[in-house]
Amino acid sequence: MTDIARRPDLDADVADVLITEEQIHAKVRELGQQLGRDYAASELILVSVLKGSLPFMADLMRAIPIPVQVDLMEVSSYGGTSTETSGLVRILKDLSSSIAGKDVLIVEDIIDTGLTLNYLLRYLRGKNPRSLRICALLDKPARRLVEIPIDYLGFTIPDQFVVGYGLDYGEYYRNLPFIGVLRPEVYERS
Amino acid sequence: MTDQPRFAHASEAELARILDYYGVRWQYEPRTFPILWNLDGAVVESFSPDFYLPELDLFIELTTLKQSLVRRKNRKLRRLRELYPDIRVKLFYGKDFKALMLKYGRFDIAASLSGLEGQALANSAVAPPPAELVAAATAGDGAAVPDAVPPAPVAALTSTSAAPRRPSRGTRRRRARRRAHQHETTMPVPRSAGGPRPTPALTELGGAGA
Repeated sequence: MTDIARRPDLDADVADVLITEEQIHAKVRELGQQLGRDYAASELILVSVLKGSLPFMADLMRAIPIPVQVDLMEVSSYGGTSTETSGLVRILKDLSSSIAGKDVLIVEDIIDTGLTLNYLLRYLRGKNPRSLRICALLDKPARRLVEIPIDYLGFTIPDQFVVGYGLDYGEYYRNLPFIGVLRPEVYERS
Repeated sequence: MTDQPRFAHASEAELARILDYYGVRWQYEPRTFPILWNLDGAVVESFSPDFYLPELDLFIELTTLKQSLVRRKNRKLRRLRELYPDIRVKLFYGKDFKALMLKYGRFDIAASLSGLEGQALANSAVAPPPAELVAAATAGDGAAVPDAVPPAPVAALTSTSAAPRRPSRGTRRRRARRRAHQHETTMPVPRSAGGPRPTPALTELGGAGA
């Protein structure tokens, strides 16, 4: 986990608002309607990847006008702790029920390198879902290492360090209601 | 887990660890692409992307050097894409990699990426490669154009902790330039109708995948 040298200042540490709260909610409503149409006759399970996806998941599930089930997963992140720079990615929290034969939609906050999602896709395919698709709020293609097919996308963003609406820096800023660009001084002084 | 070759830069070793962590197979400098020939047909400039991800059919070149060297690498990359349009290469700039390190909380490495500080890779993990890789590397080298292609991939795959250190990229570049000057005139060989130079000019080695 990243340690921040001082207590974060939610107002001062954000240089710009990249996506406003209103823009997020409009996009989430749009995605929810589209998912409702596409999965109208399906048994849909939304799988959210902790922790960053929580606000997106919470809003998206309420915007989908059909019955859905919800499940949560958490995977370790490279460099997440001092020991997480060797070995392999680990499932910290697995699904709580079977997805075999069901339509699964992974709900992600952001796709950056694609490495985590690439791992998750391989892992979940092994559980034999009927279909497996991806819904991401943000796509940051500049640093993509693994190309991931994004079936439902909110916004494509430039290569900037963004926080808010679930996205963190050092576990902070997740509770901002918008997507903001973090001032470089914040992470450069850490 | 991949046997670790001798990486030229600390950032390369870090990327290898990241790829290993997420279970993405990789090969280190498995292939050298000639990009410039002299009038005698000898290769005077070539490009060896740092990583190849076989499952994704993607080459990755990490550039953590200063801007003047980045420009040279950009030129080589453009040339590579002209000559080998089917090859997928992703160039990862220093700022990209620095941002990646910040994302993963690797401040020590991010701080070393402002220039050449990361060049000296202290005690990089060097394990003898599997015998089949050495054999493949040797065979590949022998089958290629011996004087024309830099020996980087072979050196990378056959080095051991007791072996002489592989020449730096700067040294290899200088040697390549000297070879070019010895021939006085260098010019790109015109492309054939089908694309790049014939395959024998390539050095292709067996992989060291994860």
